[in-house]
Amino acid sequence: MTRGAGLRHVGRAIIAWLVVLGMMLPFLWMVLGSFKTARDFLSFPPVWLFRPTLHNYAEVFADNAFLRYVLNSTIVAAGSTGLGLLLGIPAAYAMARWRRTAMGVVLLAARMAPGIAFLIPIFVACLELHLVGGYTSLIASHLIFTLPLAVWMMVGFIEAVPVEIEQAALIDGCSVLGTLVRIVVPLTRQGIAATAILAFIASWNNFLFALVLSNDATKTLPVAILGYIGYNSIQWGALMAAASIITIPVLALALCVQRYIVRGLVSGAVTG
Amino acid sequence: MVALVWRQMVQIASPRRRVRRRNWTPDLLLAPALVAIAAVMGFPLVYLCYMSLHKWSLIGYAAPAFVGIDNFTALLADDRFVQSLFRTLYFTALGLATNLPAGLGIALLLNREFFGRDVLRALLIFPMVATPVAMGLVWVVMLDPSLGIVRYLFKLIGVANPPLWLSDTNWVVPTLVLVDAWMWTPMVALICSAGLAALPVEPFEAATVDGASAWQRFRYLTLPLLMPILLVAVMLRLMDLLKVIDIVYVMTGGGPGHASETINLYNYLVALSYDKIGYGSAVALVLFALVLLATLCLIRLRRAT
Repeated sequence: MTRGAGLRHVGRAIIAWLVVLGMMLPFLWMVLGSFKTARDFLSFPPVWLFRPTLHNYAEVFADNAFLRYVLNSTIVAAGSTGLGLLLGIPAAYAMARWRRTAMGVVLLAARMAPGIAFLIPIFVACLELHLVGGYTSLIASHLIFTLPLAVWMMVGFIEAVPVEIEQAALIDGCSVLGTLVRIVVPLTRQGIAATAILAFIASWNNFLFALVLSNDATKTLPVAILGYIGYNSIQWGALMAAASIITIPVLALALCVQRYIVRGLVSGAVTG
Repeated sequence: MVALVWRQMVQIASPRRRVRRRNWTPDLLLAPALVAIAAVMGFPLVYLCYMSLHKWSLIGYAAPAFVGIDNFTALLADDRFVQSLFRTLYFTALGLATNLPAGLGIALLLNREFFGRDVLRALLIFPMVATPVAMGLVWVVMLDPSLGIVRYLFKLIGVANPPLWLSDTNWVVPTLVLVDAWMWTPMVALICSAGLAALPVEPFEAATVDGASAWQRFRYLTLPLLMPILLVAVMLRLMDLLKVIDIVYVMTGGGPGHASETINLYNYLVALSYDKIGYGSAVALVLFALVLLATLCLIRLRRAT
């Protein structure tokens, strides 16, 4: 390598670091802001060094409703993830091993359709059935993206399992369902875990469906956080603390499934 | 991975029927999922079509009245709808114009091994997985015209009076595009990155031996070889940009005035705030058709090249 090429290489690395770290500024600003007092928050130019306070977090958790919203988000995300996997894994098995492609059309339709196209009729139907505000409607509506996501991810994971193992099990008299439960599921458990995390994140982050289908008691976190922006006052510090509490678990979970994130996003939760 | 998506989409766009004796086992495995899909996706879409042909309101006791395609013809005369349509197209065009070069640029930066590259790759996933509503609000704080850090950063580089961002009718859409780009450029970058890693080495070696410059190698080798994967990224971004709503809803609510109202947001307001369910259903169908059309055009384009 010549000296010029070496310098270029270092230059390129430095630019890459600067660009990516620059993109992390909103996260830094969110976390810093969550530890600032109102006075530090409102000072201009912005302060980088300050005496941190836990006051904002105390304020967020002092509101009993906030814990309720955390619970709501967890219930809805866990419910729609569990149901999505339960329905999606057998479907993915059928698609991977018997080349059933009809489901592909569904996956593509789910990727393209705007959420609102499902939301309006679901809202009207739920009103009729008195389901608005219940967990049922929230979990069922989130299936619109967790199920296609589960099928999409699991087809790939199941295809990676050598088919001979299943054939051996079938020859030994194991039923197809037995093969699925005893052979395929244990062999793809890492993939299942990754899929579960991605579906959980998609549901946790969903805003529009929860906005329309929840009520005060079943509100999920993305809807609840809007409460910190009032008509005449914004509770800046509490807003940043709540944003941190909502976001940081997602970032931690996402790191565990780094390799699969793009694949998950390609299949795509309904994004709007 | 990306190739897989592509194959699947192309397969779907060009179905081949195979005649074979039917084995029912896989159908039984598919059945529960299909029932669920019929309930949460199939039925709503059929119902949506039905509602779009009616004058329908939830408040009051007026029964839905059949109006044929009146809702669709009314759309053409609805200035707010037409404006939101063009605004969405503007948003989408700006989005693609920023996401693709930036994403490709980041992918090229990450293409060579260097200290901490894997760390940067990991960090890149943060903007796209973080809860969009929460990050939208963080951006609102950062962009605040009086105390925001963005104003401070502009001051540092000597711009004393930057635009008012979200409060300026001309700047609000570009500002929202910027926030959207912050969230989704990493996806484009990681898709391109996977594509770059899969490129064959020989043509580049040959070109270097023949004395091609870095720019020539990029222009005549990297870009054409990467085109199929770039088109996948374009398609994904296109679908999502046409549907953008979350960040618009929380950051501006469509304002100031209607200056940032996208179709999807207008759709939400009409149907669920103004209680014009039938009319809103028609808007939703038009939006769906728009995304469908754009995607199919891209698939055609891909097959033509």
